[in-house]
Amino acid sequence: MAARPSPKRPARPAEAPAAPHTSRPLALVYLLGWLVPGGGHLWLGRTAKGAVFLVVLPLMFVIGLALEGRLFAFTPGEPLVALAAIANIGSGLPYFIAQALGAGAGRAVAVTYEYGNAFLITAGLLNALVIIDAHDIALGRR
Amino acid sequence: MNTASHILLMALYAGCVAVVGGVLLKDAPRQQARSAAEIFGSLVGAALALGWILYVLPI
Repeated sequence: MAARPSPKRPARPAEAPAAPHTSRPLALVYLLGWLVPGGGHLWLGRTAKGAVFLVVLPLMFVIGLALEGRLFAFTPGEPLVALAAIANIGSGLPYFIAQALGAGAGRAVAVTYEYGNAFLITAGLLNALVIIDAHDIALGRR
Repeated sequence: MNTASHILLMALYAGCVAVVGGVLLKDAPRQQARSAAEIFGSLVGAALALGWILYVLPI
């Protein structure tokens, strides 16, 4: 007797490897998403999401600078500072603009110094999550 | 920013993280708002709870 497929659970095709859902090169989606927070989403047509990221993430970065937080330099000998530097670089263009303007020196004795660092580091880390979300959208997973 | 209080800055931080988190996690605007509100409440609530615990504990 041949086995019949269960009426409750339709047969599912084997999961195919994820193929890009968009004709846009993935590397450019990542690059744009990194440099311009929300840029990957905007380029992929997720305008509302991209606009929120474009406003909130640079705003967090600017608040961090206003609170006298520090943009850490990459120091391999100090693991925590190196991690903070990587997180800072995650903010993309705002990081490089701030560096070019000489902002982000930080003032460790300021009462808001740690708050500033929290804002700056979190802005970069959230941008990394945003890039991963853009990756999922580009692959058609969302 | 000398006039900014710690709790105001904490709420501002939680608000920013909540907005990004809510928009990342959900696709529909209503669900995004709900998710953002949950994240905001969780962050602020946990911070206040931890603050009171540390206030009571003689550390």
